[in-house]
Amino acid sequence: MSRILIVAKRVLTQLRHDKRLLGLSVMAPLLIIYLLKIFFDTMPKGFNNARYIMPITAFMVHFLAFLLCAIVLVQERTAGTLERMFINGFRRIEIIGGYVLGYILLATFQAVIALAEALWLFDLSYAWGDLALLFGVIWLLAITSVMLGMFISTFARHEGQVFPFIPLIILPSVFLSGLLINPEQLPTWANWLGHAFPLFYANDAIQEIIGKTPSSSVIWTNIVILLGYGLFLLTLASRTLKDVE
Amino acid sequence: MNAVEVRGLTKRYGNVHALQGIDLSVPEGMIFGLLGSNGAGKSTLIKALVGALKPNSGDWQVLGLNPLRDQAKLRALIGYMPQGVALYEDLSARENLRFFGSAHGVPELEQRIQAALEFTELTSRAEHAVYGFSGGMKKRVSLACALLHQPRMLFLDEPTAAVDPHLKVRSWQLFRELANAGTTLFISTHLMDEALLCDRLAIQQAGKILIVDTPQAILEHGQTQLTIQAAGQTSNQQIASTPSALAESLRGYGLNPAVQTIALQPDSLETIVLRMLQQSEVAK
Repeated sequence: MSRILIVAKRVLTQLRHDKRLLGLSVMAPLLIIYLLKIFFDTMPKGFNNARYIMPITAFMVHFLAFLLCAIVLVQERTAGTLERMFINGFRRIEIIGGYVLGYILLATFQAVIALAEALWLFDLSYAWGDLALLFGVIWLLAITSVMLGMFISTFARHEGQVFPFIPLIILPSVFLSGLLINPEQLPTWANWLGHAFPLFYANDAIQEIIGKTPSSSVIWTNIVILLGYGLFLLTLASRTLKDVE
Repeated sequence: MNAVEVRGLTKRYGNVHALQGIDLSVPEGMIFGLLGSNGAGKSTLIKALVGALKPNSGDWQVLGLNPLRDQAKLRALIGYMPQGVALYEDLSARENLRFFGSAHGVPELEQRIQAALEFTELTSRAEHAVYGFSGGMKKRVSLACALLHQPRMLFLDEPTAAVDPHLKVRSWQLFRELANAGTTLFISTHLMDEALLCDRLAIQQAGKILIVDTPQAILEHGQTQLTIQAAGQTSNQQIASTPSALAESLRGYGLNPAVQTIALQPDSLETIVLRMLQQSEVAK
């Protein structure tokens, strides 16, 4: 456990030193939510803002956690620090645990301020229990995104090779996970494909939480699937994060 | 017990044979040099020995342990300085040392970090981010990271490349002190002056070890240009670079008072190594 904390502390120290990256990764979601506010203000009265705002907030945390984790891990590999960590005795699970812990703190911070801004700007109000559930879903999605970033990083030899995965994995999830339209309106194959993205389950849970007649079984089913997805990616990441060439 | 015992080690990357049946024994407590040009496979061999790379075939042991099977045990006993910088550039020199030192659970870590910073003459820059450092300074931080946990064996991949002459001398003084204290050092280099400071030297070319011997014995593989001026006449001879060959050549002159000057110009290690490499190319 202590070595997981050592890795997490190092990840956070690096982020603290890289003020530009830290500032941008916190400010960017806030700016986008503000732009969304300007955009949604043009919609006719009675338009259901929350149906889009909450999942988009989750998406931004998902996207940034994925991208930051994937790029930093590729950097670790190209700089030789990952190899050095292994030779210095760090185990795979300690490195993965440290990364998850480090990035989850960043993702928590992002989720809290992005949610707070969305609630404030769009004048949304929910019961404390629902807010806790919303936060929990976004938080869980962020953990899954860190795992996804870790897994994807194994397919990239340098930072630039991470970017093709954005149109391959991240952008399709925007259209197929129910962020913009109900997935049931999509062709069957597209609806099924949507189920492959963790954002699908996060969005489904969020729509249920903010819906008029929330079903706790649907919410918890999605949370459990998201958790399973995270564990599946953790297994994949721990298998692909090689300590031996 | 030998610190390193390697038999028939091979490693392929597609069609490239990075290691082609390496045989090597390194006794404990010595400085072992691995000399070779770029692409000779030096880093590949070191990576296999520290357990960062899985060879295709062969038997290999380091400190009596298999680098892959006994990975955790071995990694506590060895220090490794890679050829690249392999540091967190956003972190300061001290933070890098603290991170890599913490991994080994080094006792009195802060004192050891301070001592390592003083040795590498980085005390005044200890709190500065590594990205602002010169290449030589980064190498110094990297070396300090490898030394922190006082390992039984050190693998240093070109440790003094791009390091200024003053620190290079200091580094080799430290390497000798460590070897005298029982640490085994396995150092790859392409610098001939450094190679001569090793106790034993292996010359590697295209994934093969061409020769393993003491630097003195390798020098004796060269030729010496012997120039003698006697009675106004100059004679030039190519003789083997061995004391006996020299004695043999001089014997003919006896104590002839006509001999005015004797000049010896032995082949440098560089010349000998280049010749060996050329011969190995021709033999292919």
